[in-house]
Amino acid sequence: MAIPNRHPDNPVRDALTPERSVSPLTDAFNAWQQNTQGPEVAKRGERQTPFKTQALHWPVHPLYTPLDLEAAGFDYQRDVGFPGEYPYTRSVNPNGNRSALWTMAQVTGFGRGTDWAKRARFMLDQGLQGLILEHDLATTNGYDSDDPLAEGEVGRAGLAIDSLEDLERAFDLPFDRLKYLMSVCNAPQPVNLAMIIAALEAKGVDPKQFVLHIVNGILIEYTCVGRYIYPPKHGLRIATDCFEYMIEHHPNWAPISIISAQLYAARANPVQELAFSLSIALQHIDALLERGHSIDKVAPYFHFVTGIDMDFFEGICKLRAFRKIWARLMRERYKATRPEAMKVRVMSSPGTMSLTLQQPLNNISRLAIMATACALGGVGETMTTPLHDEAHALPADEAIRVGAAIQHIVAHETGVADTIDPLAGSYYVETLTRQIEDAVMTEIDKIMAMGGALAAIERGYFQRELAREQCDRNRALEDGSRKLVGVNHLVHAEERREIPIFKLADEVEAEQIERLQELRKRRDQNAVDVALAAVRDAARSGTNLVPPCLVAVKAYATHGEICNAMRDVFGVHHPDAQTAGV
Amino acid sequence: MTAFANRRLRVLLAKLGMDTHTIGVTVIAHALRDAGFEVIFTGLKQTAEMVANTAVQEDVDVVGVSSLSAAHMKHLPKLAEFLRQKGAGDKLLIAGGVVPLEDIPQLERAGVQKIFTMGTETKTIVDYLQTWWAAKLAAEQSGG
Repeated sequence: MAIPNRHPDNPVRDALTPERSVSPLTDAFNAWQQNTQGPEVAKRGERQTPFKTQALHWPVHPLYTPLDLEAAGFDYQRDVGFPGEYPYTRSVNPNGNRSALWTMAQVTGFGRGTDWAKRARFMLDQGLQGLILEHDLATTNGYDSDDPLAEGEVGRAGLAIDSLEDLERAFDLPFDRLKYLMSVCNAPQPVNLAMIIAALEAKGVDPKQFVLHIVNGILIEYTCVGRYIYPPKHGLRIATDCFEYMIEHHPNWAPISIISAQLYAARANPVQELAFSLSIALQHIDALLERGHSIDKVAPYFHFVTGIDMDFFEGICKLRAFRKIWARLMRERYKATRPEAMKVRVMSSPGTMSLTLQQPLNNISRLAIMATACALGGVGETMTTPLHDEAHALPADEAIRVGAAIQHIVAHETGVADTIDPLAGSYYVETLTRQIEDAVMTEIDKIMAMGGALAAIERGYFQRELAREQCDRNRALEDGSRKLVGVNHLVHAEERREIPIFKLADEVEAEQIERLQELRKRRDQNAVDVALAAVRDAARSGTNLVPPCLVAVKAYATHGEICNAMRDVFGVHHPDAQTAGV
Repeated sequence: MTAFANRRLRVLLAKLGMDTHTIGVTVIAHALRDAGFEVIFTGLKQTAEMVANTAVQEDVDVVGVSSLSAAHMKHLPKLAEFLRQKGAGDKLLIAGGVVPLEDIPQLERAGVQKIFTMGTETKTIVDYLQTWWAAKLAAEQSGG
């Protein structure tokens, strides 16, 4: 009796041919399907036809057995191995979370920019050693506060930085306690980096006793979210300049994170998320190798942030596959030899995409489930938890406490972190991990055949793929084929569904603009002009952009002016609808 | 039935200011195309004046703004004003996204004719535009 071909899209399953399936287990499986399960299905039907995973829409079979692993050619030592050893599927850490738990972090906004130093001090007083520096949208997109496009945004989503003076004011912090600062200001990176370096210098901070972490994985921004300025190839060059400057002058700092979670939030399925973010990492790596660096030197600096969605097993298997794929890419593609180059560094986070505005308390249970999936998948170095009321307003104190408690509950009360990679060997988990790995490798090959991530971005491939997922997901929610409690299932008709928007007084914007315009009057304009010309020269000639940006920020050239100097040379990115996927 | 009556509805979808969230506008663009409308997208980081200019150049019937930042109270009234200044006040100006209910009356007074709040299904927007378009065509036919 033949095992039906249950998975036409999956090559792993195709390997299971009837001719090979002659083991007693195959006979037993077929007998079970025919004699035991079959009559039940015939009598009662199934509540879904077919069952599918949430994001990938891959068929989920009623039962996984050793036959699935056999069909996939599963080999324990080759496919999973041991913690801390290649291919790191089980953990990059030799003792998993038994020596120490992952770092428990929480990302919270800082409210208005003018409050940043005060809020940062408050958080340091709570015992935190690290902070995330978030700029407002004008700064992140490379504009001064008095640009017409910035109207209504100044200081709203973070700190407004127009000149070094603004950052010096914000850095009125106890740097004896502040040891880590992460900056999420990607597109204007050489200006951002130069400002932070200059402000740290002004505060007398020893850069060896401090870690600056810049996100810097700019290519992601062209696929979704859109906080870009220059055409992608110039974005890549800028990121490479900043990476190179950092590893040369501050080798203890962290020069790149690929925010894979941004793709996840843009509705990428797990295969797309890994394939797109990894191929973007490879593009950044290739740019560094072209400048003569070795893979063993640059690869250990690469860091990813990933989001875990509500499909429990897709999330767990994504994390397991992530570790293995990175290791394979570094060893097979780049011939890396240092273990540090092959151990992927990941921060994982329960995703915000499945949190609902409706019935916000339900989000606490969602967060707990996703945090458990993160832990079962091996987390990575750090886990952050979003807050259950994030969609509503600035997080309430209680939400912050609950968010932190979720990780402690998972870590201390469930036992999931007490043995390493506890789901390894599960017929389903190993099958799905392998399916994800194979599909990601195939997708990466496809992207490479297009010429790599940069070429794929330039022709809009990622953007169109994400647009399709966005439309599919929306359609599934509208037609009810995907159930989301509170949104299209168990809906409370009377519930008010409004997001209160944080309203910032117009005076904040007016004051910031006034300060900026007053600075422009009193500074040495000649020094500014000379410095901006040097930035243009570097942009044109291809020399590293960070040193002339350092000179420019110290001369009090403004953030927008320096970004404009680079716009003069690089132009701006303005994709058409086709390339944008809209 | 005139040839004009067979013209497809032309919609300009726009993002104003620094709001770079594109999932909503993407889903709407695809739903409107599926409904048979012509859709043009402005791209990101547009000023109100840039959008008004595009609306005139592209000779669209509808301007739809996707807004997921808090700057809608700055940008939307300006856009309505620029459209009037450029002799394009007859175009249907609509918006959708994160817009608090309390802001709607003021936006309507400024000339935004319809605002679709969070959770609106794409079908609702398509139906609204089809009804508006049918009425406009009928009015044009009876008028000329």
